[in-house]
Amino acid sequence: MAQASATPTPVGETDEAVWEATSADRPWRTVVWNDPVNLMSYVTYVFQSYFGYSRPKAERLMRQVHEEGRSIVSHGPRERMEVDVQAMHSFGLWATLSQDGE
Amino acid sequence: MQGFRRTRHGFEAKLDGVERSVISQVVADTALLLGHDVADGPGAQDPVVSADGLLEWAALEQDDIVTPVDPALARLLPSARREDDDVAREFRRLTESEVRSQKARRLAIVWRTLRESGSTVAVDAGEALEWAGALTDVRLVLAERLGVEDEEDAEAVHALAEGASRGESVNGVDEVDQTLATLYAALSWLQETLMGAMLAASPRGGRDD
Repeated sequence: MAQASATPTPVGETDEAVWEATSADRPWRTVVWNDPVNLMSYVTYVFQSYFGYSRPKAERLMRQVHEEGRSIVSHGPRERMEVDVQAMHSFGLWATLSQDGE
Repeated sequence: MQGFRRTRHGFEAKLDGVERSVISQVVADTALLLGHDVADGPGAQDPVVSADGLLEWAALEQDDIVTPVDPALARLLPSARREDDDVAREFRRLTESEVRSQKARRLAIVWRTLRESGSTVAVDAGEALEWAGALTDVRLVLAERLGVEDEEDAEAVHALAEGASRGESVNGVDEVDQTLATLYAALSWLQETLMGAMLAASPRGGRDD
């Protein structure tokens, strides 16, 4: 359940109170960034092998990295994203921890 | 050099004596950069300080683990979070040692196999991804040394390698760079053949979510 941290706007000022979610509420994800060295075939294989994705999904994510510069390859609890980022680094990919909204 | 093709037990390439020697050297150098000695074998956990004490990082306290100064090493051990230096530092403190060991373990596997192989280099199916990871790390270091920052730079390196193979020398480019470029192009090609064979050998199914 979401938990607000900011002070709610006083009654009467707006119809809708604007709640600022605590940073802990925003989901975490693993972002993989494009680089000029990694082979597309290798990136596809790593995505399929490590995450258990289908070949089409792995290729889709790889194309997104290649064409758009980055792709969100997994999402979930922060602890699991940290494991995924470490694994990507181990495989030679550049990955970062990211939160929704960044 | 004959690229990797699938065999009953995994994958196989053909590399002559010079090729095996040069590749194992650069594989060993990459492991050294990561603070490990390939001769210790894949099971070695602790980094080795070289005889002349150059690898000072092994003596660093935990708090001293910072972004590597050497750009090639920094590429092998990149930052995990762009938005928050504290998180990035903490992540590095907690994970870097393990990532170094994992990479060194792969490099040691490749080094040992090359040293024990004749012209036929056989890679067991179970070690294929380790080989792919090791080749990637070696290529990352070579590319960094060649100043590759984007796709255009990478293409220039391949062009340089092609020119070198035709005996051309380019004004302003020294022999070391031509050698590194040739090695980079060869390893890229070799890894590409391995990945092609590995993809062909692996199932297409899996999660779509």
